[in-house]
Amino acid sequence: MVNTLLVLDLVERVGSVAQGGTVTVALAPDESRVDAEAVRDWCDRTGNELVGVSGREATVRRGRARDPLAELSADLMPGTRLWMYTNFDCNLACDYCCARSSPRAPRRALGVDRVRRLAAEAVDAGVSELLLTGGEPFLLPDIDDVAASCTAALPTTLLTNGMLFHGRRLERLRRMDRERLALQISLDSPTPGVHDLHRGQGSWARAVAGVRTAQAEGFRVRVAATLPPGLSGELEQFHEYLDSLGIARPDQVIRALAHRGVADHGLELTAESLIPEVTVTADGVYWHPVSADHDDQLVTRDLFPLRDAIAAVRARFREHRRSADAAAQWFPCA
Amino acid sequence: MSKPLIVGAVAYSPNIVTIWEGMRDYFGTGPAETDFVLFSNYGRQVDALLDGTIDIAWNTNLAWVRTVAQSDGACRALAMRDTDTVFQTMFVSRAGTGWNGLADLHGRRLALGSRDSAQAAILPVHFLAGAGLTDAVQLLRTDSDVGKHGDTGRSELDALRAVVDERADAAAIGINTWEAIGREELMPGAFELFWESPTYAHCNFTALAGVPAERTDPWLERLLAMDWEDPEHRRILELEGLRRWVLPQLDGYAALFDAVREQAISPRW
Repeated sequence: MVNTLLVLDLVERVGSVAQGGTVTVALAPDESRVDAEAVRDWCDRTGNELVGVSGREATVRRGRARDPLAELSADLMPGTRLWMYTNFDCNLACDYCCARSSPRAPRRALGVDRVRRLAAEAVDAGVSELLLTGGEPFLLPDIDDVAASCTAALPTTLLTNGMLFHGRRLERLRRMDRERLALQISLDSPTPGVHDLHRGQGSWARAVAGVRTAQAEGFRVRVAATLPPGLSGELEQFHEYLDSLGIARPDQVIRALAHRGVADHGLELTAESLIPEVTVTADGVYWHPVSADHDDQLVTRDLFPLRDAIAAVRARFREHRRSADAAAQWFPCA
Repeated sequence: MSKPLIVGAVAYSPNIVTIWEGMRDYFGTGPAETDFVLFSNYGRQVDALLDGTIDIAWNTNLAWVRTVAQSDGACRALAMRDTDTVFQTMFVSRAGTGWNGLADLHGRRLALGSRDSAQAAILPVHFLAGAGLTDAVQLLRTDSDVGKHGDTGRSELDALRAVVDERADAAAIGINTWEAIGREELMPGAFELFWESPTYAHCNFTALAGVPAERTDPWLERLLAMDWEDPEHRRILELEGLRRWVLPQLDGYAALFDAVREQAISPRW
C-alpha cells in the first residue's frame, strides 16, 4: 500500500523549492522499496526527477535537470573530435610531458589496423575531426599509412615535434594528403632559451626548421606552445615571431602546462574540471588527451565499438556535471 | 522611449522569480516592454493596482472579484491561461466510501483549504449551499496559506491529511492539487472522487479601465503570441501551468461573484 502521507509531503515540499532545486524525503523503514517506487511513479507522472534513492531516503528534483551536454557548444560536444595516441615513445624527453613519453618509453602503438577501424567508426559516430598524437608519431615506420587511413575518413591533424623530417621520414611526410592533413608542431618560445630548457638542447632550432620544411612541402602548419599558467601577459612577442614564420593567428595555439605525467607543476586537471575530448590509446579510451596515461581518467578498456565509448564519455560527463550542480545546491555560500 | 508596463504578481513559490524574469525577457524592449513587482499577498497587490503602482495585476479569481468590487467595475480582464477557463473543485473521500454526490456529505465532516481560497473554501461552501447542505455539513477549515488565495496548495494538502488522519470524512481541493497527487491512480486505496464541480474561471491579468488600450494592446498581442512549440517559451509556460494564453471568459466568474455575496466575504484580505 502506497504511503499516502509520503506523496502529500512530496507535493508540498517539491512545490516549495525553485525549479531545479532538490528535496530529500524519508522512506518508511519497513516499506522503503514500496515508498521508493511510489516516489518514482510520482516523479514520472508529475514531470519531476528522482535524483536517487540512498538507504531510506529519496532525493527528488523539481522539474528535470537540463542536459549538461545541451549547454555545450557544438564544437565542445564530446566525440566531435577524436584523439588517437599512435605511440608513446619519443625522440625527446620533455620535462613536462603529460604522456611520460621519452626514448625509453615503451612504444604501445595503436597500429594501423585499429586506427583504420577507429577512423571508419568515427565517421558513423558523428566525429568531424581526427587528431593523431604521441609520443612522436614520426618514429613509426608506417606513419604515412596511419595518416592515410585517417585522411581517407576525415580531416586530420597530426601532432609532432617537427624534428624528424629527413630521409625516409621526410618521404613519409611527402606521401601524406596535404588537402586533408594539417601538422601541429610544438614550439614553446620565440627564442631557443625556454624551449630548449624543457625539451632539450638544440631542439628549438630543429623544430623551427621542421615548421619551414612542412610549409615548403605545402602543408598547413599550426604551432602549439605549452606554457606555465600565468604567462599570458608575455605572449605578444611570441605571436609576432610566429607571424614572421607565416603561421596564421588562428593556427597559433597556446595551451597551459598541466600537472600531469612527468610535469612537477601546472594546472590541476581532473575529470570533473575538464570538458572531455575522447582519446584512444592502445590501452583504452580516456577522458582527455592530457590524461591518456592516467588510470584516473580511463573510461573503458574497450576501444570498439567507438560509438559506445563516446556514449560512455558523454554519460560520465553528465554525471559529473549533475553531481557538481547537486553539490552546489547542498553547500550554498550563505 | 515609453515606460514599461509594470505587472504585479504574488510570490507564492520560488519559481515566480524565474517565471517573471522569463516573461520580462520575452517582452523585451519596445511597445510591450514589461517589468514586474512581487507581492506577498493578493490584498496588497489589488491595493497597488487601484492606486496605480502597477499597471496590470496577475490576479486570482477572488482578487478579480475584489478588484471589480473596489473599482466599481472600472477594470477589465486582459487574458488568462487556457487552464484558467476550465478550473474545478474536486470533492474526495477515503477510497471505498462509494459516495456519488454532495448529498452523501450530509451529517459528515468536510475539510476545506484556506478561507480565501476560491477553489478549496469559498466555492465549496457555495456548492454545498446549492445542494441544500449549508447546515448539514461540519466544516473543518485549514488556514495554512491565507493571503495567497490557495495558490501554494498547502492548505489543500492539509485538508487531505485531515482525511487520512480521520479528522474529516472528505476534502474539497482544486483540480490542480488533485492532478498533483496523481488523482486516484497513483495511490490506489487512498482517495476517491465523489463529486466534481462545474468548470469555472481562475486567474486573469487585470488592468484598471484608465490604463489606455494603446498601452495594453501591444502587450496583449505579444502575450498571446507565446508559442508552446518554442522551447524558450515552453519553459515559462510549463512553469506557469498552461499551454497557451487565451482571451478572458468572464462568464466563468459568475459562481464566485455569487459565493462572495452569499458568504459576505470581506472586500479585502
